[in-house]
Amino acid sequence: MHVKKYLLKGLHRLQKGPGYTYKELLVWYCDNTNTHGPKRIICEGPKKKAMWFVLTLLFTSLVCWQWGLFIKTYLNWEVSVSLSIGFKTMDFPAVTICNASPFQYSKVQHLLKDLDELMEAVLGRILGPELSQVNDTRALNLSIWHHTPLVFINEQNPHHPVVLDLFEDNFNGSASNSPAPGRPCSAHRCKVAMRLCSHNGTTCTFRNFSSATQAVTEWYTLQATNIFAQVPNQELVAMGYPAERLILACLFGAEPCNYRNFTPIFHPDYGNCYIFNWGMTEKALPSANPGTEFGLKLILDMGQEDYVPFLTSTAGARLMLHEQRSYPFIKEEGIYAMAGMETSIGVLVDKLQRKGEPYSQCTKNGSDVPIQNLYSNYNTTYSIQACIRSCFQEHMIRECGCGHYLYPLPHKRKYCNNQEFPDWAHCYSALRISLAQRETCIYACKESCNDTQYKMTISMAVWPSEASEDWIFHVLSQERDQSSNITLSRKGIVKLNIYFQEFNYRTIEESAANNIVWLLSNLGGQFGFWMGGSVLCLIEFGEIIIDFVWITIIKLVALAKSVRQKRAQARYEGPPPTVAELVEAHTNFGFQPDLATPGPDVEAYPHEQNPPIPGTPPPNYDSLRLQPLDVIESDSEGDAI
Amino acid sequence: MAPGEKIKAKIKKNLPVTGPQAPNIKELMQWYCLNTNTHGCRRIVVSRGRLRRLLWILFTLTAVALIFWQCALLISSFYTVSVSIKVHFQKLDFPAVTICNINPYKYSAVRHLLADLEQETRAALKTLYGFSEITSRKRREAQSWSSVRKGTDPKFLNLAPLMAFEKGDTGKARDFFTGRKRKVNARIIHKASDVMHIHNSKEVVGFQLCSNDTSDCAVYTFSSGVNAIQEWYKLHYMNIMAQVSQEKKINMSYSADELLVTCFFDGVSCDARNFTLFHHPMYGNCYTFNNRQNETILSTSMGGSEFGLQVILYINEEEYNPFLVSSTGAKVIIHRQDEYPFVEDVGTEIETAMATSIGMHLTESFKLSDPYSQCTEDWSDVQITNIYNATYSLQICLHSCFQAKMVENCGCAQYSQPLPRGADYCNYQQHPNWMYCYYQLHQAFVREELGCQSVCKEACSFKEWTLTTSLAQWPSEVSEKWLLSILTWDQSQQIKKKLNKTDLAKLLIFYKDLNQRSIMENPANSIEQLLSNIGGQLGLWMSCSVVCVIEIIEVFFIDSLSIIARHQWHKAKGWWARRRAPACPEAPRAPQGRDNPSLDIDDDLPTFTSALSLPPAPGSQVPGTPPPRYNTLRLERAFSSQLTDTQTTFPH
Repeated sequence: MHVKKYLLKGLHRLQKGPGYTYKELLVWYCDNTNTHGPKRIICEGPKKKAMWFVLTLLFTSLVCWQWGLFIKTYLNWEVSVSLSIGFKTMDFPAVTICNASPFQYSKVQHLLKDLDELMEAVLGRILGPELSQVNDTRALNLSIWHHTPLVFINEQNPHHPVVLDLFEDNFNGSASNSPAPGRPCSAHRCKVAMRLCSHNGTTCTFRNFSSATQAVTEWYTLQATNIFAQVPNQELVAMGYPAERLILACLFGAEPCNYRNFTPIFHPDYGNCYIFNWGMTEKALPSANPGTEFGLKLILDMGQEDYVPFLTSTAGARLMLHEQRSYPFIKEEGIYAMAGMETSIGVLVDKLQRKGEPYSQCTKNGSDVPIQNLYSNYNTTYSIQACIRSCFQEHMIRECGCGHYLYPLPHKRKYCNNQEFPDWAHCYSALRISLAQRETCIYACKESCNDTQYKMTISMAVWPSEASEDWIFHVLSQERDQSSNITLSRKGIVKLNIYFQEFNYRTIEESAANNIVWLLSNLGGQFGFWMGGSVLCLIEFGEIIIDFVWITIIKLVALAKSVRQKRAQARYEGPPPTVAELVEAHTNFGFQPDLATPGPDVEAYPHEQNPPIPGTPPPNYDSLRLQPLDVIESDSEGDAI
Repeated sequence: MAPGEKIKAKIKKNLPVTGPQAPNIKELMQWYCLNTNTHGCRRIVVSRGRLRRLLWILFTLTAVALIFWQCALLISSFYTVSVSIKVHFQKLDFPAVTICNINPYKYSAVRHLLADLEQETRAALKTLYGFSEITSRKRREAQSWSSVRKGTDPKFLNLAPLMAFEKGDTGKARDFFTGRKRKVNARIIHKASDVMHIHNSKEVVGFQLCSNDTSDCAVYTFSSGVNAIQEWYKLHYMNIMAQVSQEKKINMSYSADELLVTCFFDGVSCDARNFTLFHHPMYGNCYTFNNRQNETILSTSMGGSEFGLQVILYINEEEYNPFLVSSTGAKVIIHRQDEYPFVEDVGTEIETAMATSIGMHLTESFKLSDPYSQCTEDWSDVQITNIYNATYSLQICLHSCFQAKMVENCGCAQYSQPLPRGADYCNYQQHPNWMYCYYQLHQAFVREELGCQSVCKEACSFKEWTLTTSLAQWPSEVSEKWLLSILTWDQSQQIKKKLNKTDLAKLLIFYKDLNQRSIMENPANSIEQLLSNIGGQLGLWMSCSVVCVIEIIEVFFIDSLSIIARHQWHKAKGWWARRRAPACPEAPRAPQGRDNPSLDIDDDLPTFTSALSLPPAPGSQVPGTPPPRYNTLRLERAFSSQLTDTQTTFPH
């Protein structure tokens, strides 16, 4: 009951608006509002009134339009960037070092023996007897060969290309213009291609090459991949270059370091790689000064004479700078360091920090990417390179049933090899050039929000100099092999200096271009500019609208009431008596109202009026005013109940 | 009545013309100050005391001044830009890659053209430095240059004699060819000494260039004979080559099959057909990969060296021109497809017997053109004709400008740049003194006297590939043997000899990752932002708005002007009336106030009666009853509609 009472009271309060008609309300609003235009509408002459009315409308619509623009701009989630450049103490980048050759030839020779003999025979067949030194009388293991053979394609007659197996002298195609056996073809007549077959040789494709060099290199790499995929990981690591053989000297700042400061990681392309300052187990090392003296100095031995001859033709060290706890994609982003040279690398850390959703489509840690990160086995952070490679491996497993040797394996899967998956090479080469696969991966993977690049300034000089060569090699050989003879050579030795430049960071940081403060101040500015308004004006306007609604309700109720009353009671017909009439009726007895009109008025309140007493003070006319309202009030109460 | 007039009359009736309410300026001002929406003015009128009023006037004026100042700042900084840097990971278009051999033409092919020049160069070397036999390590096949034309007149040394100047005595010079000392009456221009002050401690070497009549000569000296002889040789070389036709030159240079031994892009084999020929005057035949042949631009969707371009180049050092080029290798330019490769200006040199791996990062930049900065989208707003078949760049514009000036001043075009329409390359036969003219012009160009630097604007958008170059030994020791033999087999059609590793260079060009950075300039301000900033300023200082501005215009211009006009009109009318009728009868004074003794009108608030301005009660008063105290009847507005009724009933 109490609640109802308060509700009613509140309703009554609300009803007491600034007027009882629309016009009054509007006039009151225009007169009292703080916005600048409306006031002028009511206090001017008719011409200016019209002008001000139009102006006010115009300004209102302008404000609305501009507000719309601002809100739209705000919802675009634009960013502004701030750039800072300077020097500060920073964590030294993680440095990954690999040898260009993945394995020591002396240790993998037993695995590659058959393949190498075959390769030499292939070269012999291509080059012809006078150019090749090998005599192909040895028994060759042709099982590898028959799986994916290299063929000559004689395209002299473009409509009937002649396909000729390198080791067969009979022809698969038409027998026209056959070259002499033993010297099958020369370069300008034939192209070397690789035959890739699937499904037990039912469908075959030829992978064409414009030069024989590419053909034999690709063929060898494919075969070697097949062989290494079957070897367990521990053996592969043992066949690679051990850290103590690779890293001869290490100096970080003034502190000496050695191969134990490097974390080993096995890379399928480059064998054993070693990462300095990876920050996986201990804290990352900072560098507080620019310049060579405060950076990392390394002397490496590549051992070029022990390279796998057909697998890698480029000699040197491969190195890469990357962030702590990130996987080194050294094949993509690494650089070479040349043997017999001192390579100095000045580093500038180029960092880009982005805001995530809704400003840009980047991911903080890769958790919202629909692809399983296969590199998470290494405990590394998310990167888009990792995502794309994981995506490729996923496709590979789906299409070919086995994982590619170059990428990590998901749980319970196997690397591809010829024995278990005979048509994998065919499947892989189709997938590799498939653009659809790449585009799906690019689409599925998101960039990470923090992107760090290491800008390098590379310079080189000959090292060691001729004068110092002798003693340096003596010392290094003594240290590594405890031998008094020189076991190193200029062809394998690499010196590296990695250091921060004078300006070591450049950070580009995103921040929201349009924040809520910006939006409000611009909205306020626009409203103020056109109309001199503020939030309070908006509240005023809202109040007026509430009043408006109330007046409408009141009017509607009154209308309904009057219609009902008209039907029920005839005496409520007609307008209520005017004050003047009532005044006359109560005060002046000598004065008789006009008999023609007042009929209903006189009869209107017969039971309420006492018989006129002379000298009575005039009634409190103010109370009379409430008469029509009383009716309504009771009605609205009825409505409320 | 005409309908037009009818409407006019109607408008007049409905919207009567009324002037400003205030009768004079002072009242108008007062009215304005009291009623305006701006905050300061009201305080001026309302506050009491002279000091306060003065203070408020001061404050208001300061606020107005501040508004003007701030708004001026806002407007003047309207055309500023904000820079945004965005990174996209996406499939990237591979750039066009132009590969040139550093040596332009096979020496064996051009030798017949350059025989005279070579002989004279050797002769000059002999006279000054005292050695004659230059034996190339590589070139042993032809030493037949020696004494074939001993008796012929040296034409090149006569045209531009090489000389050595002794220290401190620039007037005397020793002629290279004759060895005689002779007097030189010419301006001595020390090449490079304009920018670097070199103290010539030893003999300097230079050559003399004369205009048509030999009186006006200039001598260009160099600190080292190497530079002097190379420069001198190059001048004559250009002279000779300018007279050779383009087809002949293309034939003398390297073919694509010769230069490119193998090619591999994105895991797929490619060959010479994927390269387009581009003939450069100073570098001979260059080949451009991915130059929008077949209207498709190759793109990369994986980063890393195996998905980029891998080529092995054949660089035959035996065919090198000993005087023109002194380094061995190839030049690589990475550029946009529609861009002209400036081989001589930019480019990375690659070495033989090495694998050069070039990792790229793509950065795109967009600038806003006029009125934000002085950059240009295309040729439309640069008054230079494009002589290159490529899109706009600053370099193209500068070169075009120089070439145009060259044609204008010297009458012929410089050899290392394309030919403008209707001009010829410079050579001795037609333009005997072009070298002098060229040097003069070039010096003026370097000193920015030609106006090219001010005419040419930078381009608004450009792509930039940041390169990370690293070298490795290639082929490795153990793979050298088989690799070279199979490469020899591959090239057996073009080259008949066995390849050496110093004849080959491997080049890898690839995207390190597919991150593309775009640096974009955006307008920092928009119109709406400017307006809202101005609005903020107006609101902050004075709570003013456009409405106030309109008010000010209305009050200070229209109303006050009309008041003044009316005032003047009245004055003029009064003056006219006084002149016409100096004695005008005074109009009877209008009755003031109501003659109702019983009714006292309150000053402060209007009563019912006063509000109605009732006429005085009629003389016949009703006796007995006092008039009602109408004050009590002061009605509120709600009753105003009923007043007419009261009025009608009252007189009874």
